[in-house]
Amino acid sequence: MAAIHAWRAARVTPLGELHTPPRMTAALLRLTVQIVLVASLWHGLYQNTGTTAGLDRDQAVTYAVLAVLASRLRELDQYAGRDTVLQHMHFGTIIYWYLRPLKPQRYYALRAFGEQLYGLVWALGGYAVCLASGVVEPPKSAAVAGVFALSLLLGQWVLYYVMLVIDQLCFWTLRNGAAMLILIFAQNLLAGVYAPLWFFPDWFITLSTFLPFQATLSVPLSIYIGRIELSDAAVQLAIQAAWVLALALFTRLLWRRAARRVVSQGG
Amino acid sequence: MPVNAVRIAWRITRLNFRAQLEYRSEFLMMIAIGAIWQVSVIVFATVLLTRFTGMGGWDSSDVLLIPATRMLAHGLFVLFLGRVHGLGRRIQEGVIDTYLVRPMPVHRQLQLSYFPTNAIGDLTVAVGLMAGALSRSDLDWTAGRISYLVVAVLGGLLLEAALFTAVACASLRFPAADYWGRWLEELLGTFGSYPLNVLPRAVGGLLTYGLPLAFVAYFPAAVLTGHGHDTGVPYWLAAASPLLGALAYLGSRRLWQFSLKHYTGVNG
Repeated sequence: MAAIHAWRAARVTPLGELHTPPRMTAALLRLTVQIVLVASLWHGLYQNTGTTAGLDRDQAVTYAVLAVLASRLRELDQYAGRDTVLQHMHFGTIIYWYLRPLKPQRYYALRAFGEQLYGLVWALGGYAVCLASGVVEPPKSAAVAGVFALSLLLGQWVLYYVMLVIDQLCFWTLRNGAAMLILIFAQNLLAGVYAPLWFFPDWFITLSTFLPFQATLSVPLSIYIGRIELSDAAVQLAIQAAWVLALALFTRLLWRRAARRVVSQGG
Repeated sequence: MPVNAVRIAWRITRLNFRAQLEYRSEFLMMIAIGAIWQVSVIVFATVLLTRFTGMGGWDSSDVLLIPATRMLAHGLFVLFLGRVHGLGRRIQEGVIDTYLVRPMPVHRQLQLSYFPTNAIGDLTVAVGLMAGALSRSDLDWTAGRISYLVVAVLGGLLLEAALFTAVACASLRFPAADYWGRWLEELLGTFGSYPLNVLPRAVGGLLTYGLPLAFVAYFPAAVLTGHGHDTGVPYWLAAASPLLGALAYLGSRRLWQFSLKHYTGVNG
């Protein structure tokens, strides 16, 4: 019974998307154009270059295209559904999250899970097309594919907690618009969405190892293209798992403290 | 605008600025995000320039002029005309409906709706980048070149405003069109800062004639740095980029008037 309730909560956002075909058409067009542009840019950049930063052209293109596809995993516009923590704080409706028989942290997790599953369908569809058309290279072996899948799962888990921390910030600051923008920037830069981290100076790569963003995307994609060898993958997976654990404990603490701050309108 | 309207606009802007100060941490973070966002463009451009020298046949100092021009134009757009971006959300909240019954043009009310704090950060970085680009440049900065650069920045500002105004017009009919605005912002930020001749001809053509992104900074920078004949479009067209921006903005304002007349509210 609990599983049915969980499924119903998880499918709220994907159902919202499925009932707005123009949004889906727009998402498809945007994804297609973005992949074509990114692939073209990296092909163009490598025109007069062989291997740079340990990456050849095919590796760089594969990395860049997979980064675009991975960004689809959590790209739903919750704002349109008026169900962001920011909006609930603004309109005073956050109190309803605490009046339901479902705990707010559970509701939040289920909604995010549904979103990421929906995003995964998009990413997998895009990946299949890119693979069939030769835009991206297949993984070197089944073992690489398996370790990549595990690493991607851990990476999305880390990303979920990072986004949650920013949403939880609303309980203290009421607004998190700027923090969310900073997070998106940090995520894009330090996770290697703008450009693979391998292209950056050594000090930058060292700095990013102390932050959780590298674990979200750079690690799984580097495993996929072979820039991180399978022999080194275990350490990276352990670091990702450590981030999951640390952020899980931290957000659990924040949920507890946040609950004490929530008051209904008028106090 | 008559003098009285300017005075009202100035008073509202001052009030909006004070309103932004109500959430002090958000205010400071918004300035930071403007700066950080632009720094990310610089970081990406620097990394690419370091790893792939001679991008599209351009020297790195010449390439730097493209993001500098685009960023300055973008910062000024955010400061003066940026509120058209994200209009769909305000339409969903029914804000436009109240604007329609007030004795001030809707467009002006929209632009005065809040103070764009992030523009402070945007412009700070943009001015810094432009100063850096000019100091590294080997070009002879004559009065003619400087004037063209100023006009190019203004043209870029108007062209970006025209594109976002067109999306806002679509939002008046379909609030979900806001999605396209966010994509447009992403495209301008990602592909507006490099020589487009690094891309295949068809893709470059798409970003020239499909979405006139190349006219914002790439073509003016090409004309200034002597690459104007290698852009894939006639030289006169590349040189006329600022004029195109002005014409596009005038056209978009006509479209705005037309769209507003046909606005029927979120409830039909």
